[in-house]
Amino acid sequence: MLMYIRSVFEWVNEFPSSIGIRESIYLYPAILTTHIVGMCTFAGLVIMMDLRLLGIGNTTTSISQIQRRLFPWQMVGFTISAVSGLVLVYAQPMRFWPNVFFWIKTVMMLVAAANVAAFHYGAYRTVAEWDNSIRTPLGAKVSGGVSIVLWALVIMSGRLIAYNWFQ
Amino acid sequence: MMLSFFKWMGELEFSKALGASVWQFALIQALHLVCLAVFAGAILIVDLRLMGRALTDRPVAQVAREAQPWMIGGFLALVVTGVPQMMQNALREYYSIFFWIKMVFLLLALIYTFTLRRKVTLAGEANAVIFQTKMVGLVSILLWAMVAIPARLIGLFS
Repeated sequence: MLMYIRSVFEWVNEFPSSIGIRESIYLYPAILTTHIVGMCTFAGLVIMMDLRLLGIGNTTTSISQIQRRLFPWQMVGFTISAVSGLVLVYAQPMRFWPNVFFWIKTVMMLVAAANVAAFHYGAYRTVAEWDNSIRTPLGAKVSGGVSIVLWALVIMSGRLIAYNWFQ
Repeated sequence: MMLSFFKWMGELEFSKALGASVWQFALIQALHLVCLAVFAGAILIVDLRLMGRALTDRPVAQVAREAQPWMIGGFLALVVTGVPQMMQNALREYYSIFFWIKMVFLLLALIYTFTLRRKVTLAGEANAVIFQTKMVGLVSILLWAMVAIPARLIGLFS
């Protein structure tokens, strides 16, 4: 399995368009900067919602409203950072492949997605009972706290990809 | 004069100690980005409200009051994690056009946030969204984007 993924990375590495982005003086920095702008929008608004789930921020707004109204903007940010992030990997697959921080980031994103699913199919089902309350149930608090920690780790490991330690 | 200040800053024991530890410096860089996300979230939630694009059934003033501690806290954390980076790379920053673009927009964004934007948000007890409030939100997003974007480019073009 691992060797198969590696061969895909090696295969993409030889694409003329991958080499083109990799060797471009301006394109790569432009995509990287776009990635940061997307990240700020996505993670920033996710954190705003997580603070509400923890009951320590945006407390006069109901949770369902925060969820409903911020979701489209979180998706805008997510789309920008996901597309630009995929292009960054596409441009330098063999730089990312041996990088431990890239894999930590990938795993953390998957765990964060699982946390979102756990929240929606768990605590959020009873939201009508605590929608306007500052005190949120334990499940919501755990989801909010775990989300902040996971996205912080995603951001930090993303930044550390620049360092080729442990290779 | 400015050059000698940056030279002095780069020669400080603190700056040299930071430069000697790659781990320490990288960790500060990574934390700086997390602080940026918190700050950006607190700015965006208010600006989107000003523009009538989110939380429109809450008064602007209330959204702004609640976001304020996170905005100020996020900003202070950005300063705490940003200044050491500047000290460690003092001369690189001095000779980078992007650093100066960032600093100019940082000054403009700060003045704007704590004067016009603050006045408009705190006065917005009603739920109305008018052209002027939309512009205040949009200008805020653009100004802060002009701080963050050149910041990323300092390290890439130096």
